Amino acid sequence: MSSSRDRMSEGAEANAAAPDRFEEDVLALMPALRRYSRSLVRSDPDGEDLLQDCVEKVLARRAQWRGVNLRAWAFTIMTNLSRNRHRHTALHPQVELDDDLGLQAETYESDPLERSRLERALNGLSAENRSVLMLVVIEGYRYQDVADMLAIPIGTVMSRLSRARHQLAEAMKDDNVISMRRPK
Amino acid sequence: MTDELNTVSEDDLNAYVDGFLSEADRARVEQWLERNPARAEDVRQWQAQATELRAMFSPYARSDERDRALLSATNVSEVATSGDRWTERLGSRIAAGLLLFAAGALTGLYAPHILTPQRSEQVAQVAESLPRQAQSAFLIYASEVRHAVEVGPDQQTHLANWLGKRLDHPLNIPDLSSLGFSLVGGRLLPVNGKAGALFMYEDASGQRLTVLLGRNPDNRETSFRIDSSGGVETFYWIDGPIGYAVTGEVPRALLQKVADECYRQFEKPAAS
Repeated sequence: MSSSRDRMSEGAEANAAAPDRFEEDVLALMPALRRYSRSLVRSDPDGEDLLQDCVEKVLARRAQWRGVNLRAWAFTIMTNLSRNRHRHTALHPQVELDDDLGLQAETYESDPLERSRLERALNGLSAENRSVLMLVVIEGYRYQDVADMLAIPIGTVMSRLSRARHQLAEAMKDDNVISMRRPK
Repeated sequence: MTDELNTVSEDDLNAYVDGFLSEADRARVEQWLERNPARAEDVRQWQAQATELRAMFSPYARSDERDRALLSATNVSEVATSGDRWTERLGSRIAAGLLLFAAGALTGLYAPHILTPQRSEQVAQVAESLPRQAQSAFLIYASEVRHAVEVGPDQQTHLANWLGKRLDHPLNIPDLSSLGFSLVGGRLLPVNGKAGALFMYEDASGQRLTVLLGRNPDNRETSFRIDSSGGVETFYWIDGPIGYAVTGEVPRALLQKVADECYRQFEKPAAS
């Protein structure tokens, strides 16, 4: 768990505008934020951690929100947090705990081996490429939206997306795992 | 990748996979892919990745009973500094959280955690897994352009007999033309570990729906239920030995009409 208490005081003065309505809006976004958060990290606990950090930041910075598209704004914050965490993990590698998608096991029926290979392939992506892939594929954003959210040129969005796709395909190729799911 | 009509870029291929191309550009890319099998293989892999990733992460798009508490906890210091009504507000927050939790429990959202009696747990599992399986099947097959079904609409009688036999339950294939959907075909697939049937429909714009049938081990009935995940909506119900699930990325009201229509038509004894 990350330390939240020390950063909370920063948020205290930022809440002049629209108090409860804002929280209700954030609450309504929680499922979307939870999904995006999990898609960026290696494990369920990491996903919940990132989600918490993001909610904290969103609440702390509510005064900076321009009042349009809360979802995109929160996603931008989440993306940046995840990139920072990723850098931190790269500098301070930890022993990997069980990476299982615990929820997955109950709700989605798939070959567990295949799943863990895809997870591993995903974990080989850079944070930048991974977030672009997820914003497009899972969250359904258009390329221009992603460019706006991440404040990068659209050409960079395209090259990150392409790189992520090629890299995933390459990582999965040896076992041809994805191809096995092809319907006859 | 050399081609005299090499007008398809890497960006086009990505946009093709992501569904951002116009009808005309789609056709152009598809023609080009037929002449460029290596790139067609890339595209196929990217589509498979996308399907798999959506299926992998969409179950996370859910609320949690702790969400409200998380928001409140994050805000405690803010509330405290804002002065007087701290306890009152905290109290109402807790009450609201409890209410939300109770509502969730009633709708079965948190049922796996709190319902311990074995029978209802088992029932809940079967009922829970049906919409999930229906959504996975929808995500996997509805995006297939050429191999979406095993048997096409021209062999409708054969399809009904074949799948009815495998399911061990005679069935009518619903006619959804009154709602603008025509049959694309059907396929056999596993549901709850047994043979199940999937029918796919399409409207004039190419929007697809699936109807999934699977055997239900404990022979009971439920009302219509709805489950949505990542924009994919499912209406499902269990009627004796068979569970039904209607799935699509369409407005809920339309999907409900489809579900009603299917229910009505499945009710009629199958013409063999």
